[in-house]
Amino acid sequence: MVVNPEEVEFRSRLVEREAGGETYAAGAAIRQASLWRDAVRRFTHNKAAVVSMVGFVVLLLYVVIVPWVSPYDPNNVDFSLAYQNPSLHHPFGTDEFGRDLFVRVALGGRISIGIGFAATFALMIVGILYGAISGFVGGWLDNALMRFLDALYGLPYLPFAIITLAIFGVVNFWTMVVALTVASWFTTARVMRGQIITLKENDYVRAARAIGARWYRILFRHLLPNTLGVAIVFVFLELPNVVLGEAFLSFLGLGINPPNASWGSLAQDGYSQYLSHPYLIVIPSIAIAWLILTAFFIADGLRDALDPRTTEHV
Amino acid sequence: MALLEVDDLRTYFKTRAGEVHAVDGVSIAVERGKTLGIVGESGCGKSVTALSIMGLLPPSGRIVSGSIRFDGRELTRMSQRELEDIRGRQIAMIFQDPMTSLNPTLRIGTQIMETMQRHLDVSRDEARKRAIDLLEEVHIPNARQRLDDYPHRYSGGMRQRVMIAIALSCNPRLLIADEPTTALDVTVQAGILDLLEELREEHEMSMIIITHDMGVVAEAADDIAVMYAGQIVEQTSAEELFDHPEHPYTEALLGALPQLEGEGVRRGRLTAIPGRPPDLLDPPTACRFAPRCPYASFDDSCAKEPPELREIRPGHLVRTAHPASERAARPVEAAVR
Repeated sequence: MVVNPEEVEFRSRLVEREAGGETYAAGAAIRQASLWRDAVRRFTHNKAAVVSMVGFVVLLLYVVIVPWVSPYDPNNVDFSLAYQNPSLHHPFGTDEFGRDLFVRVALGGRISIGIGFAATFALMIVGILYGAISGFVGGWLDNALMRFLDALYGLPYLPFAIITLAIFGVVNFWTMVVALTVASWFTTARVMRGQIITLKENDYVRAARAIGARWYRILFRHLLPNTLGVAIVFVFLELPNVVLGEAFLSFLGLGINPPNASWGSLAQDGYSQYLSHPYLIVIPSIAIAWLILTAFFIADGLRDALDPRTTEHV
Repeated sequence: MALLEVDDLRTYFKTRAGEVHAVDGVSIAVERGKTLGIVGESGCGKSVTALSIMGLLPPSGRIVSGSIRFDGRELTRMSQRELEDIRGRQIAMIFQDPMTSLNPTLRIGTQIMETMQRHLDVSRDEARKRAIDLLEEVHIPNARQRLDDYPHRYSGGMRQRVMIAIALSCNPRLLIADEPTTALDVTVQAGILDLLEELREEHEMSMIIITHDMGVVAEAADDIAVMYAGQIVEQTSAEELFDHPEHPYTEALLGALPQLEGEGVRRGRLTAIPGRPPDLLDPPTACRFAPRCPYASFDDSCAKEPPELREIRPGHLVRTAHPASERAARPVEAAVR
């Protein structure tokens, strides 16, 4: 719905005339439909995105709530209960030590999603700063920073994370976050640089220069807030990448140490019995796939919602 | 001494194909309280002249020579930092396209207050109060409420009014309006021009209006400089220019203007100017207008040496070998063509 400001003006004046002046509120109500409201409306019209959003929230609720309310101790070893198939008592079955997988997958999700969000947050900060500085300053600095990035791009993803972990010498939540951040901030930096360079050419940036605004004001007030839409989309594009990266490392045995587990290490545990007890590997894998798919569809919906000009889908 | 004196300004742009001589020896002066109109077609160097004055040239452009004195101070030798203190405070500028000149993520009020908070020692409340006054001054109804709107709630004409309010917020002494009405509806244009003139008087500013529209300068300017291919080809007072145009290019521009009253209305066709402006990568050494000039003949000086800007009458400068008043004395040549 496009509201013509002059029409709104006209309507509000009409209202004003009819009610004797103090009814500007009516006009104000019409104009409340802001950019964000339009975005929300566009997002809610995208079925895949809404379903994914619901799925994503359900997953988060499962991960947060189940360990609180579950009657089972996730680390309690009881071999008499080993390898039970999914049932009402144990919806996801039990593993080789008789531990309840319903609660262990939820706990694993806390670690996987926690690492995912923390690393995504960190890589957004690094990527936005690097890209913004590169694009904003331009010239030789831009060239140097981008060639450096090209060199990093040339190397594969996993070795980066593995080398970083090796440098730390320990694998825990925070070293995992750092390793995944180091390995995956490049794309964000590039896209942000492109954004800043495009925005820099805007008339309102010229206008800001024309009123004598200093560089930091132009960067933080006029440029970065306008990249917010893209940044939000990127959070949901990078989150699944990071979660997958973590799962991959854990599957290779470079993950969180037992008895703690992430989805990746749960899948690794189930890998050896995948013929006799397939649910051991299938359930954590579904959890990973669930998160990745919902996040991608949310990203897609957000992109369409925040930038109405793009209509094609990924 | 005039408020702004630009003397023999040359601004070149580096491109892959070579150096573009966008402004090639322009001298203008803006008197206090007067309006100077700069007229010319696209790419003649009008906007680059303005950006040179503001110190806002893109990285590829630089002022090669010449001086820009504002209130006796030399702008070309100032650092960016010093220029930042002058921009918005002493010299303000409004741009062609009001639809893109406002930041879509900031409220109108924030954007008006930004300039004041940058240059003046005012509190937030004072700045806000003054922002409301400014919006009222540019005739935005319900100023107090509309201050908190985002730009997409404003129409093109209203946005240009906001841009004017922003430009005026620190009481600048010179306002540069670069095609202020080009992107607007015809019905809105006249309103904006009236507003500019009204505010110029109220705030005792000088003004430079840059446009390709003879109608705009006719309405608003005291003096007019006509630019062609990076140079000034004719410069005089507005009345003199419209009553006695001397340069063939000025005549052609006026001939291309539709007339609604006077003799010949309805009968005369609008005349277009044949050809295109010369390539400024490699400007011709001879008269730059010669290839399009109906009076140029290739056996005379037009094809060989560039005409100088000369004072044909007191206060009337023109750069051509065939000014209108001298042509009449040599009717044969014109008849031969």
